[in-house]
Amino acid sequence: MSGRIVRAAGTLMLVSLLSSPALAAEPREPFDDRYCTTCHGSDGRGNYGVQAPRLAGMEGWYLIRQLENFRSGVRGTHPQDIEGIAMRPMAAKLDDESIADIVAWVGDWPYVPAEVTIAGDSAAGERLYATCAACHGQRAEGNEALGAPALAGQNDWYLVTQLKNFMAGYRGSHPDDSYGQQMLTMARTLVDEQGVLNVVSYINNLEDR
Amino acid sequence: MSKPVTRREFISLMGATGGTAAALQVGTALGLLPGGAQAASPELLALGSNRRRVAILGGGLSGLTVAHELSKSGYDCTVLEASHRCGGRIFTVRAGTLIDEIGNRQYCEFDDEPHMYFNAGAARIPTTHHNLLNYCKELGVELEVFVGENNNAFLQDDAMMGGKPIRANDYKTNMRGFLSEMLAKSLTQEEMDEPFTEEEAENLLGLIRSFGDLNEDLVYSGSTRTGYASGGFLTHGVQRDMMAFRDLLKTRMGRQILSGYEGDYGPSLLQPVGGMDQIIAGFLRQVGDRVRYRAMVAAVQVKDDGVEIAYDQDGVRHQLEVDYCFNCIPTHLMAGIDHNFPSDYSKALKYVRRGEAYKAAFQAKERFWEKLHIFGGITSTNTPSRAIWYPPHGIHKAKGVILGAYDYGGGMYHTKMSQSERIEAHLSDGEKVHPEYRSLVEKPITIAWHRMNHMLGCSARWRRSFREWTGEEEAMYHTLQGPVNGRHYMIGDQISMHSAWQESAILSAHYALSDLDQRVRAELA
Ligand SMILES: Cc1cc2nc3c(=O)[nH]c(=O)nc-3n(C[C@H](O)[C@H](O)[C@H](O)COP(=O)(O)OP(=O)(O)OC[C@H]3O[C@@H](n4cnc5c(N)ncnc54)[C@H](O)[C@@H]3O)c2cc1C
Ligand code: HEC
Ligand code: HEC
Repeated sequence: MSGRIVRAAGTLMLVSLLSSPALAAEPREPFDDRYCTTCHGSDGRGNYGVQAPRLAGMEGWYLIRQLENFRSGVRGTHPQDIEGIAMRPMAAKLDDESIADIVAWVGDWPYVPAEVTIAGDSAAGERLYATCAACHGQRAEGNEALGAPALAGQNDWYLVTQLKNFMAGYRGSHPDDSYGQQMLTMARTLVDEQGVLNVVSYINNLEDR
Repeated sequence: MSKPVTRREFISLMGATGGTAAALQVGTALGLLPGGAQAASPELLALGSNRRRVAILGGGLSGLTVAHELSKSGYDCTVLEASHRCGGRIFTVRAGTLIDEIGNRQYCEFDDEPHMYFNAGAARIPTTHHNLLNYCKELGVELEVFVGENNNAFLQDDAMMGGKPIRANDYKTNMRGFLSEMLAKSLTQEEMDEPFTEEEAENLLGLIRSFGDLNEDLVYSGSTRTGYASGGFLTHGVQRDMMAFRDLLKTRMGRQILSGYEGDYGPSLLQPVGGMDQIIAGFLRQVGDRVRYRAMVAAVQVKDDGVEIAYDQDGVRHQLEVDYCFNCIPTHLMAGIDHNFPSDYSKALKYVRRGEAYKAAFQAKERFWEKLHIFGGITSTNTPSRAIWYPPHGIHKAKGVILGAYDYGGGMYHTKMSQSERIEAHLSDGEKVHPEYRSLVEKPITIAWHRMNHMLGCSARWRRSFREWTGEEEAMYHTLQGPVNGRHYMIGDQISMHSAWQESAILSAHYALSDLDQRVRAELA
């Protein structure tokens, strides 16, 4: 591994220099910004225990946008957005260089679809998904041109939280969140929690496991 | 006033007391009360020329206990610790310490002196926690007394006395006086006759009188226990006025004063000289060479004949193959690490919720509390910061480190704030007790356990309600307590019914060790 950026007392240095015993007298323990897996699980595969979703396999453009949204407060500032509030301070202190480093790092993680944990009526979900396919794609593979991320293979419990948050306006109601606003309108077509569970259980089927 | 206790109630009270007393005697004879299990390191079979490799995931207290005990018996141990330090929730902060809160890293700037430290996690050792004390003795960890309850510390509540802090002693003495007076008056002589002998009745009334410092007429009229209005040494002491009962009833914090220092929190309490992490240092003197730091476990695969572990260190993925594995990684983090545990095991891992404990501390430019006759102990306030702890160590030195906030149950209030908001909150809460607080303290640190790297919580919450464990919860607990395939053990205070105590972490390690020992004995027999 090379060029990993480490901050110690406000200066930049390479971690490899510090890990050699001769220099271990350096009194201050260095740290870096690659702490994501503590919450997002091994190789960023998501962790239900912390409610942090899968990052492995996530499109780079979407990852950058979300990190920027969290950093600027476009996402994760609504007082009812419990999990978003947990994520926001993690991004608040990242600079562009760190974000670029992280996106490259996350890009290395092998994509592994998440396990199925929810139950719903996927036939009803298929009908509901017809609307969604326009932006997220027939196989929920995402569409960069429309700014809509892949949904297939994501942790289903996370998709449920997001759809509920969009419906309630906890996500997507910030005036500068133009992508989120579009999605907020779409989420409301699902009407209620059962609609959410149905569409997510259909999305679960779209992934070859 | 409450209605008098009837004769019938008294007789049944006596009966009930008799019953409890009998149970107590039996219990103590067996060594069961009040401290829990008998203190004893597990007696493990020494391996001799046999070889067994063991991986210990997480250098928490339970993990180091396992490493220490197994190393003594000839096992080949490797501890994988994700952080740059061992100890997990045993964490002492002093000059230069990194507080690895994700999104809010801090370096401690306290003066570099032996007494200038803060126990950001575990801070007090009940004397009934025998197993922990045993290790302190074995490992040469010097102990001193920790002061929790202190009559001279304050109680402050905006709802009482216009928010003016009063001494814990004022609350305690006056409240005890009022309670005793009510109790004494409710026991008329006639009612006392029936269940008690004359001698017992006299003794009981005498106790009630002295408990509340009542006069001969069984009336509370103030007490010199709170000190004197004037005089007392070279001249006659003049008693202070008693407080108004109604005033004391304005606060709901009386419980903290009257019963907050019981059980595990009761005297005597101990602490290691120089910081709680001296316990970790003690273990590391024995097994420090077995620890791999910055080694973050990424996968655990239990096989028929052993366990395969993958971990990341210096940006490289390493493999480790062992015969047995002990794992104190917090359950909510383990849930996100690849594993092949059975589904009931996995379900139990996901069920446990994480706690939200939060602490903050300041360096005090002078030991201003000592001028107020406070030496150690805890002030309780009805603010979100909840408490100020005065250090029992470093008495009469120039400076000290004080705890400026401790929210054990609902720490998210402060956790969600920015560092500067947190500090401002503790300063303005502290000013209610010590008006000059803001100018007397400096170099703040905050520890939001919910966001500490590789921990993200304290402590395991098994119960969804404050009531008893449900049958389902208990079943899941026993599932995690048992090994997977006789190869992999979850340990830590999280695998106990008394989480958030070091003793529990040690006992869970001992429990797992004796299970392993039986298996190894059977194998080698
Ligand atoms: C605020 C607070 C106050 C407390 N007060 C007291 C007290 O007064 N008295 C008392 O006796 N106890 C107290 N406790 C409880 C005591 O600290 C704990 O019970 C005890 O330290 C738990 O030890 P453990 O073995 O369970 O491990 P933990 O301390 O939970 O350690 C777990 C370890 O696993 C490591 N880890 C995590 N993820 C990975 C990974 N992927 N790979 C490798 N390693 C990993 C962590 O870095 C950590 O070192 C308090 C705790 C807190 C937080
Ligand atoms: C303290 C735990 C924690 C840490 C550390 C953390 N995250 Fe998160 N993250 C979360 C949680 C919880 C969510 C879910 C938010 C929600 O439900 O709205 C999340 C959401 C996200 C999302 C949004 C995903 C989506 O599909 O919209 C991205 C992107 C993300 N995190 C990236 C990162 C990166 C990169 C890092 C490391 C720099 C990181 N996170 C560190 C907890 C964390
Ligand atoms: C008009 C286009 C559009 C349609 C139609 C649409 N979405 Fe979205 N969706 C988006 C965009 C854009 C985002 C990204 C929002 C952001 O960047 O915060 C998104 C985000 C999401 C997310 C959050 C993903 C994550 O990782 O956080 C979910 C879940 C989601 N959509 C589900 C659906 C479902 C289900 C439907 C159908 C009911 C649907 N979407 C219809 C555009 C659309």
